[in-house]
Amino acid sequence: MAHIHLEDGAFSPFWVIVWWAVALAIIGIALFLIRNQRKPDNRRITLAAFCVAAAFVISQVEVPIAAGVHLSLTPLIAILTGPVIGLLVVFIANILSAAIGHGGWGMIGANTLVSLSEILVAYAIWRGLKPFIENVFARAVAATLSGLIIGNCVMMGIIGLSGIQGSGLSMEQVITSLFLIASINVAVAVIEAFLAGLVVLYIGKMRPDLVDR
Amino acid sequence: MLSPHIPDLDLITYYSERKDSLFSRMSPWTKACLLFCIVALVTVIRDPAWLLGLYLIVLLLYLTAGLPAGKLVQWYAIPILFVVSLAGLMIWSVPGTPLFALTCCSITLVLSDNGLLLLITLVIKAIITVTYSLFFLMTTRYRHFAGLISRVFPAPIDQIFLLAYRFLFLTLAMTASLLKSVRSRGGSLARSLRVQGRLFASVSALVFIRSFERGERVDKAMSSRGFTGTYPLSGDVPLPGFPEYGLLVVSGAVVIAAVLASPYRGW
Repeated sequence: MAHIHLEDGAFSPFWVIVWWAVALAIIGIALFLIRNQRKPDNRRITLAAFCVAAAFVISQVEVPIAAGVHLSLTPLIAILTGPVIGLLVVFIANILSAAIGHGGWGMIGANTLVSLSEILVAYAIWRGLKPFIENVFARAVAATLSGLIIGNCVMMGIIGLSGIQGSGLSMEQVITSLFLIASINVAVAVIEAFLAGLVVLYIGKMRPDLVDR
Repeated sequence: MLSPHIPDLDLITYYSERKDSLFSRMSPWTKACLLFCIVALVTVIRDPAWLLGLYLIVLLLYLTAGLPAGKLVQWYAIPILFVVSLAGLMIWSVPGTPLFALTCCSITLVLSDNGLLLLITLVIKAIITVTYSLFFLMTTRYRHFAGLISRVFPAPIDQIFLLAYRFLFLTLAMTASLLKSVRSRGGSLARSLRVQGRLFASVSALVFIRSFERGERVDKAMSSRGFTGTYPLSGDVPLPGFPEYGLLVVSGAVVIAAVLASPYRGW
């Protein structure tokens, strides 16, 4: 999962509550949409659960490229499950990650919003490019790269707005400090986009129904 | 390939299901409320001395429960790396008394006392919640967690969560066996981005495909047994006893005192 690399106590209580409230409101909308489907689809629940498990496990695997890369896989989840179920998948995966120290409990709200931005952008690009680009690999690369870059910007925006409590840094100073990590994230995003493209290509060959629903 | 610094879920489950300590008999509700109090305290308190005190209390809880100290040190790697990777960049701009300066490519970076203090404070905050989270996981049985989840989260989040928790172990085993087969064919050797990338992509894609296929099989099996979208649980989650209520009242009072004593009331 995409993450703000900060643990509990970095944001002030005000911002922890704000990001949690926004995330819960959006999750509420997703739940409303799921519950108001004409026909309840229990299969999607089971598939979403397997997706949480697969995404959580794969994000813990170290790819021996550069100094070792962990993939976020959020855009891939968006491509495979869609934005509504995808949001629930990343929310639960963020809770599981917080439970083992991969991001704080108070940061789950902010982290869910970062993941949500990746999901929405990746899904929109994936669907939007379908009439223009037939090539599954190219579409998946474009969707993943755009999702991760926007997610990166949202992450910087959230940290810039919230500030780091006790640091005395202004929003500009915080964002300036984040530029280095943002550049590293973009470099990793290129690798992830390439890998996500290959994953989608592979899935497309084996189970085309999963990527072109 | 599976990162060694990630907490081992099998080991965590072993401790939660097999260990019998005072804390494993404690109500999961009490431990969940204490988690909330600890996160609140860590969010509100800024004084490193108080945070260090809180860390020692949490560490004592962890050690008293008979949980592995060596593993805990290993598992600190991720939260500490998390904090250092991000806060480590910001501390150079924090105003304060300069401790030392670093010049690189005509840019001078100055580390101040407040910058260093910020990094130390964030690291202590991180390890406090990680220690308690692991203590909570390793002293609470699955059926109690399942009970908590089904009562706290609305449907279908609770259903996805409970199924995901069960599937997690299947997926871990499946990924480990896939990686083992890759390693046995020399796949772990770093050759090139293209080779490694294709290899990793194939493993990930297979995990997803197998997960989906297993999900579909499980769904059919569950539907044929009457699954209608709700995953009923048997058994109750033990409620807090009288002494535990006392502990919660004291913890709540400490949180309120910390909020009142903190600058800007913690906001």
